[in-house]
Order: sequence, then C-alpha cells, then structure tokens
Amino acid sequence: MNEASLIGLLFATVSFGALLYLAALGELLAEKAGVLNLGVEGMMAIGAVTAFIAGVEFRNPWLALVIAMLSGALLASVHGFFTVGLGAEQVVSGLSLTILGLGLAAYLGKDYVGLPPGAELVPVEWGSLSELPWVGPILFSHAPIVYLALAFGIAASLILSRTRLGLALRAAGESASSTDSAGHSVLGLRLSAVAVGGALAGASGAYLTLSITPQWAEGLTAGRGWIAVALVIFGAWRPSRVGWGALLFGGTLALKTRLQTFGVDFSPIILSMLPYVLTLLILLIISIQARKRPSPAPAALGLAYRREER
Amino acid sequence: MNQPSSISDKEPLSVELTEVWKRFPGVVANAGVELAVQRGSIHALLGENGAGKSTLMNILAGVYRPDSGELRIHGRSHQFRNPADALSAGVGMVHQEFRLIPSFSVAENIVLGSAPPVIKTGQLESDVAEMAHKFGLEVDPAQPLWQLSMGERQKVEILKVLWRDAQVLILDEPTTVLTPSEVDELGQILRRMANDGRSIIFISHKLHEISGICDQATVLRQGKTVANSLPMATTSQDELARLMVGASPAIPNRQKTTTPGQALLELKNLSAQSDRGVNAFSEINFQIHSGEIVGIAGVAGNGQRELADTIAGLRPSNSGTIIMNGTDITTESPHRRFQSGLAYIPEDRLGVGLAPQLSITDNAILRVYRQQRRGPFILGERALSYCKDLITRFGVRAGNLSGPIAALSGGNLQRLLVGRELDGQPSVVVASQPTRGLDVNGVKAIQDLLIEQRDSGAAVMMISEDLDELLAISDRLLVIEGGVLRGEFDPRTASRQEVGMAMLSDTKVSSKP
Amino acid sequence: MKLPRLNLREQPLPGGQPLAFGIGLAIALFVGTLLLLGAGHDPVKIYSRMFEASLGDPDAWSITFNRAVPLGLAGLAVAVAGSMGLWNIGAEGQIMAGAIAAAWVARIGGDWPGLILILMMLISAIGGGAILAIGPALARAKLGVNEIITTLMLNEVAIRLVQWLIHGPWKDPDSFNFPLAPMLPDQARLPTLFSRAHFGLLIAAAVIVVASVAVRYTAWGYELRIAGSSEATARYSGISLPTKVLTVLVLSGAIAGLAGGVELAGTADRITETISNGFGFAGIIVAALALMRPSGVAAVALLFGAVQIGGQSIQTLGVSSSVSTILQAFVLFGAIGAGVFSRYTVSFGNDSLPVNEEATS
Repeated sequence: MNEASLIGLLFATVSFGALLYLAALGELLAEKAGVLNLGVEGMMAIGAVTAFIAGVEFRNPWLALVIAMLSGALLASVHGFFTVGLGAEQVVSGLSLTILGLGLAAYLGKDYVGLPPGAELVPVEWGSLSELPWVGPILFSHAPIVYLALAFGIAASLILSRTRLGLALRAAGESASSTDSAGHSVLGLRLSAVAVGGALAGASGAYLTLSITPQWAEGLTAGRGWIAVALVIFGAWRPSRVGWGALLFGGTLALKTRLQTFGVDFSPIILSMLPYVLTLLILLIISIQARKRPSPAPAALGLAYRREER
Repeated sequence: MNQPSSISDKEPLSVELTEVWKRFPGVVANAGVELAVQRGSIHALLGENGAGKSTLMNILAGVYRPDSGELRIHGRSHQFRNPADALSAGVGMVHQEFRLIPSFSVAENIVLGSAPPVIKTGQLESDVAEMAHKFGLEVDPAQPLWQLSMGERQKVEILKVLWRDAQVLILDEPTTVLTPSEVDELGQILRRMANDGRSIIFISHKLHEISGICDQATVLRQGKTVANSLPMATTSQDELARLMVGASPAIPNRQKTTTPGQALLELKNLSAQSDRGVNAFSEINFQIHSGEIVGIAGVAGNGQRELADTIAGLRPSNSGTIIMNGTDITTESPHRRFQSGLAYIPEDRLGVGLAPQLSITDNAILRVYRQQRRGPFILGERALSYCKDLITRFGVRAGNLSGPIAALSGGNLQRLLVGRELDGQPSVVVASQPTRGLDVNGVKAIQDLLIEQRDSGAAVMMISEDLDELLAISDRLLVIEGGVLRGEFDPRTASRQEVGMAMLSDTKVSSKP
Repeated sequence: MKLPRLNLREQPLPGGQPLAFGIGLAIALFVGTLLLLGAGHDPVKIYSRMFEASLGDPDAWSITFNRAVPLGLAGLAVAVAGSMGLWNIGAEGQIMAGAIAAAWVARIGGDWPGLILILMMLISAIGGGAILAIGPALARAKLGVNEIITTLMLNEVAIRLVQWLIHGPWKDPDSFNFPLAPMLPDQARLPTLFSRAHFGLLIAAAVIVVASVAVRYTAWGYELRIAGSSEATARYSGISLPTKVLTVLVLSGAIAGLAGGVELAGTADRITETISNGFGFAGIIVAALALMRPSGVAAVALLFGAVQIGGQSIQTLGVSSSVSTILQAFVLFGAIGAGVFSRYTVSFGNDSLPVNEEATS
C-alpha cells in the first residue's frame, strides 16, 4: 500500500461520506418530525437525473443542483401528501415512492444515458490549504457540494437544538398532540420536514451526476438510499453522529473497490454488508438501553396524526 | 407567606362567566353557569363527576366554545377560538393528562410553543430557573423530563402556563398525581402565585385538600351553579358536601332478597401501583360472599379501576393475596382466573374486552373458542349459533353478525360483552363501570343481569361512579378514596349524604348496622 | 381558515378496496397516456399490446401466472404478519435466502431424482427464509425492537450474500470468469402445467388457500387476529403475545423463502443477484392493497402481475421499461389515496359548535 493509494482511499471516504450524509440528513429531518420516508433511493435517483439533464441543457452546475433539490422536494411532497395529509401508511407510501422515483428517473433520463456531462462541480480551490501534505488532497480538493454537506449538517444540528423551529420540529416527532396544543402546526412542520428531506436527497443524487460519476445511467444510485436510512439509526438521530457514521460507511464504499489494489484478501462484498450489520447492532443496543431511558428514536415516528374534534 | 391573603370584596374580578350554556349530543353539560373569581385569590370549583366543571374550564381555556354566555377576563369580554386565544388573554390551563415530551429537557418542555426564534440554552435555562425560583417551583431546567416524578412534572406544567404569563391559571384536579407532602407544597406555591396578583381556579372534589388551600369556592351540580363564591373561612366541609351531592332522592325500601353464603372472593392486604408508578390502592381487605352484590363507591381516579384490573390479573399486585373459591390466585394468569370462575367486565370495553376490527361472532366466542374446535379449526357453525344464542338471550340488537363489532352502539356492545362474560356461570363477577354511557334501558338490562347473577349464587363486585345506582342494587357498599377503603355502609339504611361525605373526605366513617 | 378535514366513516364503503384498485388503475392509465403521448407513442396501440401480452391468450396468461406466483407468495408473507399488525419489510431478503438454500440443495443433490431434489429444494427454501426472519422475530418478541428496520436491513445483507456466493464460492468455473453460478440441473426444474406456466402456480395457490383458511378459520388464526386488533384484549383472553409474534414473523419469512425456492426452480436457470427482482417490496404493496387479508392476496397479485408483464411487453414497441415502472407507482398511489377516501369522508371548515352570535356583546 503506497501513500498515493492511501490518500486516494481517504479522499474517496470523504467523498462517499458526503454523498451518504446529504441523503441521511434529509431522512433525519423527516424522521425527527415523525415521518419515516423509505423513498430515499427514489429521491436520490430523481436528483441525480434532473441534475444531469439540467447540466446538459443549461450548462450551469449550480442551477443543476438547485433543480435537483427542487425535484427531490417535489417528489418527497408526494409522500408528504399521502402520509401527512391523508394519513396513509408511511411504509407503503415510502416504498411506492422509491418505485415512482426510480421509474421517473429512468423515463426522464433515457435520452441522456452515456452522454458527456454538460456541467460539473469542479473542486474548490483552497489555495495553500490544498497544498498541505495529506490534509490538502484528502480534505481540501473536493467539489463544493462536499463542503455544502458539512454546512448543511452543522446547520441542521444548530437548527434542531438551538431554534424555535427545531424545537417545534422535534416536538412534532415526539408527540403530535402536545405540539398541536402548544400552538404549532403539526401538518406544516411535517410537510416541510419531508420536503426539505427530499431536497437533501436530491442534492445527494446531484453529487453523483455532477461530480462523482459524472454520467447518467439507470441504477446509478445502487442502493445508497438504503444506507442513508440505516445511517439515521446508526447515528441515533443525531446530525453529528450521523456525520461520523457517514464517514465510516463512506469508508466501506471507498474501500470496497480498493481492497484488491491493497492486496487484502477479503471479499469486498462481505465488507459492504458492514453498514447494515453495524446498524442492526446499534439498534439492538438502543433497545436494550431503552429499558432504562427513552429510546433516541422519535416517539411518534410512523404515526399519522389527526386532531380529535369534539 | 403561607397565610391566606385578606381579600376584600373590592378586589377586582379577574374572571366573570355569566349564563354559560354548553350542550353535547344528549347532555347539557353547562346550563347557565355563573362564576366570578377575584384577582389574587385561589378559587375552588367543586362538584361531582359530570357536574360540568371540566366543560366549564375547557370553555374558559378556549378548548370548547360555549353555545351561549358571556366570558370576561379582567373586565374585557372575550370569545376564544382556541387555546392560543385564551393564553394570549392570560388564561392557561393545566390539564389532568400532562402534555409533556419525555425526551425533552424541562426547559424545552416549558418553552415549547413560545420560545424565542433563537434559543440560547444556557440563558433560557437560567430564565426558567429564575421564574421557577420566584414561585417556589424548584426544578432543574436541564434535566430530561422522563427522570422527573409526577409531582415534578406537574410543576413543569404549571411553569409552562406561567412562562406564557398567564394571569388566570386553571388546575384540573391537580392533586390526583401527588403525594400528601407534594399537596402541601402545591398549596404554598399557589399562594405565592396568588400573592403575585394571579388568580387560580382549582378543580377538585377533595374537600379536605381545598379547605387548606382555597379562599373561595363555587359549587356546581348538574350543570348549574348552586353556590357562588362562598368564603372558605366561614363554610364548613359538611355544608360543601351537602351542596355537591344535593338532597337525597327517596330510595325504595328494598327487601334483602338472599342471605349471603360463603366467601367466594377475598382480598387480603392487597396493594398495586398505577401506570404512573404511584400507589393506586393499598392494603385493601374485604370479602364478597355468594349471593351478594358489593358496590365500590368512589370518585373516579381513586384506585377502583386498578383494583378491578388487579383482581382480573391484568395488573400485577405489589403485596397481598387474592383468594377465590378458597384458592390463592394472586399469581395466576388472567385466563386461568377466568377458567376458575372469574368473570370480568372491564371499564374500557373496546380496548380491553373486545377486538374492535373483528366481527361480532369473533368477539362473542372470545371466551369459548378453545372449546369450539375440531382439530385446529374453530367450528364456524357452532360459533355462529353460540353468537346468535348470546344475542337473543342478552337482547343485543345486531345486524350483520360478520360485520365489525365497532359498528354496534354502546349499549349493544356492553350487552354482548356482559353476556359473554356471564355465560359460563361464573362464581365471581367483577364489573367495572358496567352501565356507564348507556341509555336507560341499557342500564336497566345490565343491572338486572348482575342481580340475576347474585340471585343464582355468584359473588358480584360492582364499581360505579353513580352513587344512586349503587344504593339501588348493592347489598353492601364500600367506599374507596385515595386508594384506601374509607368505610362500609348498608345501602338500605345509609343516606346518600353520609356516603357522599365518605367519598369526599379522607377519614374513616362507617355506619355498619 | 377552512381546511379540508377527514372524518372516519363508521363503516368503510362497501367494495371500497376493489374500487380503490380500480381508481388507481384508471389514474395510472391516464398518466400513462400522457407519458406515452409525450414520448410520441400511440396509447391505444400500446395499451392493447399490454393487454394482449398479459391476458390476451393462454400463453400470455401463463406468463402472467408465473409472475403472480412470487408476487402472491411474497404478498402472503407480508399479509400473514400484517394480520397481527406486524410489518415484514424483509420479504425481499427472505426470498433471496430461500433461493440460496434451494440452490445449495441443487448443488449437493445434483444426481438425486427430480421429485426428491425439488422437494428438498423447496423445504430448504422455506427454512432459509425462516432463518433470516428469526433474528427480527426474536428481537421484536423479546426486546420490542421495531421489526420494520431490522427486516429492511437484512434485505441488504441477503442480497450481498448472493453476490458473494456467485462472485466466489459458487462461481461457475466454465463461465469465462463471469460472476455466474452454474446452471441448475435439469431435474431441479418445476414441471410445466400449460404453455409456460409452471407447477409453482399450484404450490402458490395451495399455500395461499391454506394460509387464508388458517388465518380465517383456525383457533391459531383467530388468536392472531385478536392480537392484531387489540393487544390488551389478547392478554385478557390468555393469548401469549411474544410466542405469537415469534411464530408469525418466522412463518412470514418461511413463506417468502418458499417464494424464492419456487422462483428459482420455476423460472430461473441459476441463482442470480436479481432473483428476487423486487418481489419482496411489491409483496408489501400487494398485501397492503389486499388490506392485509391473505384471502385477498391472490387476486391482487394476479392483477399486479398482469400490469408488470404488460409493461414489460411494450419494450419491444420501443417504449422504455420505465413507463411500466411509473404506471405501477401510479396504480399504487392511486390505490393508496382511494383506499383512504373509502374509509373517510371529507368535510370543510371547523366541526366545533358555532358560537351563538346573539350572546356576544
């Protein structure tokens, strides 16, 4: 293992970590407000394809990113309408959303398969920081969306813990009736959390087609949406822990393609099971601890709310 | 500090309710209620269950809208559309069911709904601590709520209302979750708030508690004000109790129909906890004999429900024994108790006794499906004929027997449930509020069924909040208050008033013949 | 402000669920028409092709049946758990676990007589699915761990297990280094019934009938339904909840595992990582549309299978396969929405009693 390939591994770890973090943050926001959205994979796919199409058509990566986020939010709002508005089962609606998102993405992108990208998010120039040994190439040579992911994570963490909005959002995920009687709109909070969650999943997809790959093909998201769902649990619904988890899980994605070059005789496929197995372990630990204190999972997660009138 | 403040009649009124009417389908909850609360006073609102106290306070807190009537706060007329309107007019209510979030900190719970846009945790917590200290409501603002006792949680609920600067605080039966020392502490806290110029409306039916805390009392009965702003200093507890329960209706002179036989159910020093982790009832001792109905009288929330659940095996006991037909069943499963002859009619019919989404037939066979099998199969024909038999014998009016049971009316649901439980000729029947919410015919039918059981030799325990019902059908009457038996009465000779007093006070009374 | 408000009907609309499916289908056809017109196709031509390919003649029916088999078994697995109010999101993985177990039997028993081989394959498929479900079942029954997440995670583990097998230990030495498992022996194939319909149709039909009867008519199923409707009532009548949760989730996994075995022996040449082909997830939707009733699963699976097969067939006319995926999604959302409205009425404005205007000064 030489220095260059180790740097390459760590660079890819950060890059995949950011990809997962964006989607997981979105899922975290929705779940914090009490809505389980199993449509992450579909929303990522929509983000990826719309970003790519917008890049080809408008040649502006930032516009492409914005369009991807709006598309993600729009698709997520379908889930919001059915689950928050109509009180439909969140599991069924979320899975249907995955199907819808994957189908729409394939339909929209069928003429763009294999085309060269029209716009790319190029690595940010950090000046002398990028020149630093090790740190420079690993941390300061990424596309801007990586730093955006970090910024979103810090913002989400601050908003959730330090603002009235965050307090209300968390309350909506813990007890809808308490939130309602405190004068907040549960409907509004949940719908916006789901939509913002969709926007972040869209941004994650855009990172794939505007920087990592950067091409469009069906099945590009390759199940990473499910890792994002797992990450939220792994990180116990805390933005910071989800961030560290994203680096860990991103590391397994990065290592997967490099095991052979490092001469490690270990199946990359078994390695890729790691995130799920770890998440199962964490889930087990959480539920054993839950006998002594409340689980970190939002108490009203998955429950529809309808105000009782008399 | 803890002295009742001297309140002159010139003190301005903070709350004036005039001619308030509120009807719900089938009930007139408030029929022209009057209430006047002086600024800086603690005002008791008294009345039996169903007297209209909670409805009135929910109107004052903006939860319900009155059909008619006037509502003035500090002299200004208001119409509240929701609780937020009431809060902005300075009226806040502490409900019996806490609306708190266990995983949030104390401070977060307090400021939810009225937090500043940006929360500086340290600053917020010291603000909360300062306000808490001012009123003597000592809580740690940073502590997660789930670690708090019920008494501490109540302080958080009160602080929530104070945080929004409510000038009028309504406390709905605040002492039910408190220990005696916490009750004393609450009294001091309320006095401090009153001295600060706020008005407190204290809903209760525990006379001994309010007499130490409140300045004035208004008494409601059957939706009307029967006594307006009585000064507590010059009104006796007896007088208040009389006002609350009203004059005794004539009770038909009943003959003792059967002579009780041997004891079929015996409780020895039985204690159990409530869902909130406090003692629901303690050291309960009594026997019920073959051929008698023992009524358990008491105001709701004094441990009756938990007592019934514990006898049925749905709630573990802390100590003591339950003996049925001579055998100790304290640790038996609910099903084994049923098999050995215990019928249980739970208070929460649809939640505990029935499966709402399943059909009438499926619900009818809950106790007998194990016998109606061939191999693994339930015999559909026999299940259906059993169900038909039940509904004809017990007068259930049901259309489609394979339709969901939740479509039946309350009275028909209860007839089916009671019929199913009594069908196996039980030796002991525990009925918890079996006639609540039923119409006149339904009440009569259920009462007749219980009397029939008594006459055929069963031991019947009947819990009810309706004292008149218990006086009419029970052979012996036990009064439970605060989870303790407060007395035993002979319903043939006891007056409604003396039983009522026992239900409301915390001293032992007895009128054994 | 007047917001629309949903009010629960006392009784669901009669025939609400078939109606919901119909409305979903109608919405899907409408959206599909727009998509097809947008892509320059003739919707009438496409739709008639879809119908012909899925339900037009016995050959078409046989293909639709073959698709309905895994959909129906997966849907049944979910519905059995759903009868007790549990969510088995892991059918996808359990199908793969079943297929792995069946493929393993086919590897070691390549020279066994066909009947015994197939029987052993199906039995071990059942075991494979059950094994994957045991963990979530124990965690739910003993520790109260939410089964939605545990079963979901195991899907991802199971698919990687298949990948690992066909990239490693089970890689066919004659596959020119492609990650392919060897072909199944000929006697490991399920016999054909007619045209291309295989024997799995009868297996699936039998299992669905048995499970429907068990849930509807046996004491076991009765206890299941009681527990699904009210846990307190179940305890009250002496039903042991942990035991029920454990057996039901394991049984659910076993049925999904059987789907994997049948799919492998029925339509696949060899085990691949796409062996479950989304059937597990589709099964959740099939079960939800059947209102978690095992008896309703067969009809929904057949219709859903027809939509899938019809959708595939139009690819030969140059229509992207994505159109069929989108159509499926719209059937789903249309049905979910219509299902909600069959249980609720919509009203506008506030339900509270109005304030008497005269009384205000």
